[in-house]
Amino acid sequence: MTVAKQSDLTPAQRAHTRRVLWMLLTYAVVLPPLLWLHAHREVSNTASLVMAIAASLPVLGIFASWGRYVSDEHDEYHQSMALRRIAVATNATMGAAVVWGFLQAFGVMPLVEAYWIPTVWVVMQGMFGCIEFFSRRSAQQ
Amino acid sequence: MTRSPAAKRYNRRVIRLSLLYALFLVIAVSGFNRGLLHGLVAYFAAVLPALPIIGVFGAIGLYLVEEQDEYVRMLMVRQSLWASGFALSIATVWGFLESFDLVNHVDAYYIAVLWFGGLGFGACVNKLTIGSAAGQG
Repeated sequence: MTVAKQSDLTPAQRAHTRRVLWMLLTYAVVLPPLLWLHAHREVSNTASLVMAIAASLPVLGIFASWGRYVSDEHDEYHQSMALRRIAVATNATMGAAVVWGFLQAFGVMPLVEAYWIPTVWVVMQGMFGCIEFFSRRSAQQ
Repeated sequence: MTRSPAAKRYNRRVIRLSLLYALFLVIAVSGFNRGLLHGLVAYFAAVLPALPIIGVFGAIGLYLVEEQDEYVRMLMVRQSLWASGFALSIATVWGFLESFDLVNHVDAYYIAVLWFGGLGFGACVNKLTIGSAAGQG
């Protein structure tokens, strides 16, 4: 079963999945102690800056991994599907950010941390991936 | 350089949307400044200037679909990918700087400003790596 599932993935997809899992693991390991330190200890501004950058690096790594995947993928179909997913996620995220931004600017909605924007992007990617998967399945049936 | 029909249509759409943006922004700002907008109308007026900007993202998507020159389309796709990476990376770092109390919160629409700036960054990367900036934006 595992072998069958693995063979469905292209080498570039496998490498991308591995990289993303490593980045998520690093994120999960790095973030809790940083948040704990920030909440319970007096930390200088320089140390806080280093901590904030350390927390963002795994997420930046995930974006870099997406870029590397698009460039490494030799299967044109998979590459075009990834580009479509990225385009849809980017448009939807930018749309949401612009709407929320104007609601904030006119004082109708509260300000939120900017990292919610990349979070929305990742969720949009996943949602569009699911839609693609189910529409492919229903087309096959 | 001669622009393709798709590029001309894209430019026309963006110009119209920019004019619409200016009009909607003036309406919303003057409405809020005079205290005329409350409740649901306030939400609607706040969203109004966002619509043409969303339209610009739509225009970029349409351009990618309509452009027949594969090389120019590839340059624009690369530019957009760099723009997304650029904007999302800065948003991530800024978000963590906010949560560690180092910088102030900013309005979320600045991410779109960063994305459009990222198109310029993407054009520079295209120029440096494949010798041609091209694309729209």
